[in-house]
Amino acid sequence: MISVQYVVALAVLLFMIGAIGVLVRKNPLIMFMSAEMMWNAAALAFIAFARNYHDMSGQVMAFLIIGTAAAEVGIGLAIIVAVYHRRHRLDIDEVSKLKG
Amino acid sequence: MGYLIPEVLLAGGALLALLAVAMLPNAKNLGSWIVLLAMLAAGVDAASMWGVTAKLIMSDTMAIDKYSILVTEFVLLAGASSLLLAWNADRFGAELPPLMAISVLGMMTLGTAANLMVVFVGIELLSLPLYILAASTRTRAGGEAALKYLLLGAFSSGILLFGMALLYGATSSLTFVVYPAITAANTWLLWSGLGLVLVGIAFKLAIVPFHMWVPDVYEGSPTPVTHLMAFGTKVGAAIILLRLLAFGFYGQDGSWGTLIGYLAVLTMIVGNLLAVPQLNLKRLLGYSGIGHAGFLLVGIATHSVDGANAMMFYLLPYGLAAMAVFGVLRLIEGQGDEVTLSDLRGMAYRRPWLAAVLIVGMLSFAGIPLTGGFVGKFFLLQAALFASQPGLAVGIVVGTLVGLFAYLRPLQMLFQRTEVSAKVQHLRWSVAGAVVLGVAVVGTIGIGVYPAPLVHIVSQSANFYWLTGG
Repeated sequence: MISVQYVVALAVLLFMIGAIGVLVRKNPLIMFMSAEMMWNAAALAFIAFARNYHDMSGQVMAFLIIGTAAAEVGIGLAIIVAVYHRRHRLDIDEVSKLKG
Repeated sequence: MGYLIPEVLLAGGALLALLAVAMLPNAKNLGSWIVLLAMLAAGVDAASMWGVTAKLIMSDTMAIDKYSILVTEFVLLAGASSLLLAWNADRFGAELPPLMAISVLGMMTLGTAANLMVVFVGIELLSLPLYILAASTRTRAGGEAALKYLLLGAFSSGILLFGMALLYGATSSLTFVVYPAITAANTWLLWSGLGLVLVGIAFKLAIVPFHMWVPDVYEGSPTPVTHLMAFGTKVGAAIILLRLLAFGFYGQDGSWGTLIGYLAVLTMIVGNLLAVPQLNLKRLLGYSGIGHAGFLLVGIATHSVDGANAMMFYLLPYGLAAMAVFGVLRLIEGQGDEVTLSDLRGMAYRRPWLAAVLIVGMLSFAGIPLTGGFVGKFFLLQAALFASQPGLAVGIVVGTLVGLFAYLRPLQMLFQRTEVSAKVQHLRWSVAGAVVLGVAVVGTIGIGVYPAPLVHIVSQSANFYWLTGG
């Protein structure tokens, strides 16, 4: 049995990769994918802790994360496609009619 | 299980409206009527539960108490006013009413949350429809706003989720109301988890330094949707932050209280400061919303019943002022999506009543006496002083003073005699808009002149430390 520390370490690594991906990449599709990776890292951590504590609620949470992520992808891809239709390029720096 | 009837009514209304707009596409405002009636019914039912003794339901995942009921009423007000602002506007699409209902359902869920799972579901339920709504005008700015909102929303939800995972790892429970009873928690995991959760919620509540997305998203979204974000989302994020910290981390206030205090001062001052130079009114309101999030944080940072009371109280005058200002904006913009400061020129002479409403709303935002905003700021100041945190009090005063400049600049435009802007000349009143403005003005001045009933209601609802006492 792999001890919980290793799994959580892997989850932290995945989370960091996802977070860095959102912050550095310019393509909204890749950024979105990286954000989903952060979600999945959290799901992995939940499952690891749930197994460690023999507690079901962490696994339920992982299922909720998967379901919600699916809904978010459905909406997110539709929005990204709609933006792409309008300008035929995907670069977050060019999506800048609104200046922050 | 009669406690969730408001939620069931709203969810049922949303589904019914979805079916109705699909089957009867030519019936004007049908979806809006169904959702509005469902919201009214949910509000009445929630109000009838006011006498309930606080209890945990659904295997300790949801708390039904006066706090959750008051939150339900606040977010239903936000939802109904947004719906009325979008009345008769076909260009937003027929899906708008059901989506707004689902978003409001998410906010209501947050009000009842006693478990991190419910917090997550509530936040997603509130955000996902807003991503779609932000893009519902199909303009270039709308798509951009939706994209930014989506990416930042997914990013912040990821942070929030990972924080929750670490909290779960530290405490072996997702029910955060039992956290104070857990003593054997792994401190390192606990604090990093709480830190990530705070960052995640700070994104949603738009706390400086996590505020950059707000003005862009507010500017690009349709005005009724912006109003829902400004009022509803703020209520949802603020009350879950208060419940989470005051319930779950009741004993450890020494660690998070100071941090929230610094963030509150920073947010109040920076938000209001950035609002001053804005020319687009929706951007101005975006920055003003950031500033108001800072004021709300003061109530949490004091970590006292007074502070919780003051924060809960502040939500209503803020929301009513937002109703007044967004209602006026909606009437001015007509078929467009943008209102700049110069569009307000000459309004005081051409449309005196509408100008008066805008003045009331802006003065309430600024915190001038005889408006609800003043009473709200007064209670926050009092809470900060009672908790002997003079830094917070100074922050409130400085933030208010800076905000004054931001809010008086648009008002100055109203009285420009030289020329009347085209948008004001072609402005048309609508019944739905008039209802929103009427409620907003009566509420704002009513709370400002006679706050006692609301103070009483809020003091009953924010007194929710019953769970830590066992």
